[in-house]
Amino acid sequence: MATLEKVDVVIVGAGASGSLYASVLAKAGKKVVLIEAGPDWQMTDLISSDMWGRRVKPSGVPFLFEGKNPYGYAYQGGWGVGGAALHYFANFPRYLPTDFKVKSEHGKGLDWPINYADIAPFYDKVAAEIGVSGDAKSEEIWRPKGQAYPMPPMKTFRNGQVWLKGLEANGIRMVPAAVGMNSVDFKGRPACIYDGWCHVGCPIGALANPTITYLADARKAGAEVRALSTVTRILTDASGTKATGVEYYDAKKEKQVQEASVVILASWAAQNPRLLLNSATDKHPKGLANSSGLLGKYMMAHYASGTWAMFDEDVENHMGTVGAQFMSYERYDKNAKKAKGAFGSTYIVAGTALKTSDLGGFANARIDLFGPKLAEFMQRAKRGITRLTAFGEEMPNIENRIEQASEKDEFGMPLARFTHSFSDEAIALWNANFDEGIEIAKATGAKEFWSARGPMPTIHLFGGTIMGEAAGTSVTNSYGQTHDIANLWVAGPGLFPTEGASNPTYTIFAVSQRGAENLVSKWGSVAG
Amino acid sequence: MSDIARRALIKGAGLSALAFSVGGTQVLLSPRQAHAQNIPFRTLNAEQVETLEALGETLVPGAKQAGIANFVDQQLSVPHGEALLEARILNVRPPYANFYRAALGAVDKASQAKNGDKKFAQLTGDERYAFVDLMRQNKIDGWQGPPGPFIYLLLRSDSVDVVYGTMEGYAALGIPYMPHIAPEKRW
Repeated sequence: MATLEKVDVVIVGAGASGSLYASVLAKAGKKVVLIEAGPDWQMTDLISSDMWGRRVKPSGVPFLFEGKNPYGYAYQGGWGVGGAALHYFANFPRYLPTDFKVKSEHGKGLDWPINYADIAPFYDKVAAEIGVSGDAKSEEIWRPKGQAYPMPPMKTFRNGQVWLKGLEANGIRMVPAAVGMNSVDFKGRPACIYDGWCHVGCPIGALANPTITYLADARKAGAEVRALSTVTRILTDASGTKATGVEYYDAKKEKQVQEASVVILASWAAQNPRLLLNSATDKHPKGLANSSGLLGKYMMAHYASGTWAMFDEDVENHMGTVGAQFMSYERYDKNAKKAKGAFGSTYIVAGTALKTSDLGGFANARIDLFGPKLAEFMQRAKRGITRLTAFGEEMPNIENRIEQASEKDEFGMPLARFTHSFSDEAIALWNANFDEGIEIAKATGAKEFWSARGPMPTIHLFGGTIMGEAAGTSVTNSYGQTHDIANLWVAGPGLFPTEGASNPTYTIFAVSQRGAENLVSKWGSVAG
Repeated sequence: MSDIARRALIKGAGLSALAFSVGGTQVLLSPRQAHAQNIPFRTLNAEQVETLEALGETLVPGAKQAGIANFVDQQLSVPHGEALLEARILNVRPPYANFYRAALGAVDKASQAKNGDKKFAQLTGDERYAFVDLMRQNKIDGWQGPPGPFIYLLLRSDSVDVVYGTMEGYAALGIPYMPHIAPEKRW
């Protein structure tokens, strides 16, 4: 085992939040090392194929998935630089003011220790930095005013447009979706050509994946990425008051210690608690940053109620992006479907390019069909099928959790048991959103329509290292600094005390930007 | 820059054909070509191949000729971090060969119990269809091994991959593929 020369910052994970932290800190003159478990992908690795696209996703994950609704990991997980954002859909809706104060407003869930107004300037900053296309003005029917996006909305296609009549008939206003993609050339990156391969990685750079935005900036400023290297422990000093670095296994599977003045965990909402639990010492017997006992607790996922519709016309379903063309917060009121026993926000999107295979492909639109009936369906669907999606919110539940398991991985680190079940209120919202999807489809004039029902899906991931006001009720403060150890920070959606209903990455970037700037501003009092 | 020029700029940058062994040397072939050339299997035995081809063809017509067994067999022989199988994103624990062997064994065992000792590949077309229809709904009594609905989901996905997920498959359906980086060998 070698102990490597001390650096200013070691960041565990080179995904969305890790890349942003690296960029801000490296540009502030800090020596930054990112340790990434997966490969150092290049843009030329992003092959336009659903099969080949699976290479950039995890394989053989170190979790045991349990509960009534076990978490579905790998489709949406990251592996390698860029993390999950290497192949994300780049939908960039923001959270609304109500998302930050669920407990205060409704007496359930949790409050964030900050308000929408604390995050809003960072939404604008991220948009200016990496590029967002959309129409901010049109969104302001639901949210406070802010800056205009730097690019106009993306093109729309019939696969999105055909839903508008049905949505309007049901009183649902749609506006151009905000996306982290280029509707026009932006900062040397080309405009999107609407080929619909976003979900396996966009190699032309029209989609703002972190490897061409924050991580590229960080590297230019001197940050170093160590790929295929797996962190197993965060190390602390004898007093237990200071993080001293991390222990990891490098690409040759040799054990190394990287000392650092600040340690930032940005690996994944479930992996961060796994690492902290595995870093227990006599001073921190329950794991690092766990004096509250809440480490690994309050894991949350989104779920989606999809509606398929088949039209006689060619809806150009091979065209567009895999993200949304239109979005709506019209059902975002957390009591919008209270009459059906539901609680939580709903975020609605329409318009997506479709491919044939993989989980999101239209061969799975009728999973019950096989043999000649499937072949016949594929012929009918190839031009006429399109999908509407309503995402739902679940409330934080302390029973949804990460714990250490007895089984160990190849490095001797315990696997984690990840237990997750949806509440009755979330299930009710999922069902209510299916019902509304059918009402919308009826009003479109589609010749056939049906709900995309199956096992209740788990989408995105939040919690496990939640932020809060006090050390007794949360793991970190609002910046991601752990309450227990000043130079140990956490980044990413694991910080979120509630999850809203809209896609999280824009908020992940905004929260990370706020945290990274705060770390730089108080560096002298934080660095160990 | 035009859209076509942008695609051309990065064309050919990816390595996408699969490596098969022929006479002790490695050649790059699509699974359809591997099937047509009777490339030897590396991981699955003859019985497993027979069951996989019969099941794949029942799930998605054309899967056998498209090389479903060659695709799965070749993918089971590579490190799981390089695998392209849907198993990867459905949380199947590596090594994936364990799952496939168990799944194909479960199908044959249930088929024998239900159909007078006939393995799945020995069933008539109608019998195969009826069996799969029950399997997908978890309605076969005494089932042992990985759950039938999950086997249905996974092997149906593999079959869809080789029939509809390739450039050739898109062309056959009449859908523009429009790659940024085209897989080699039209795979």
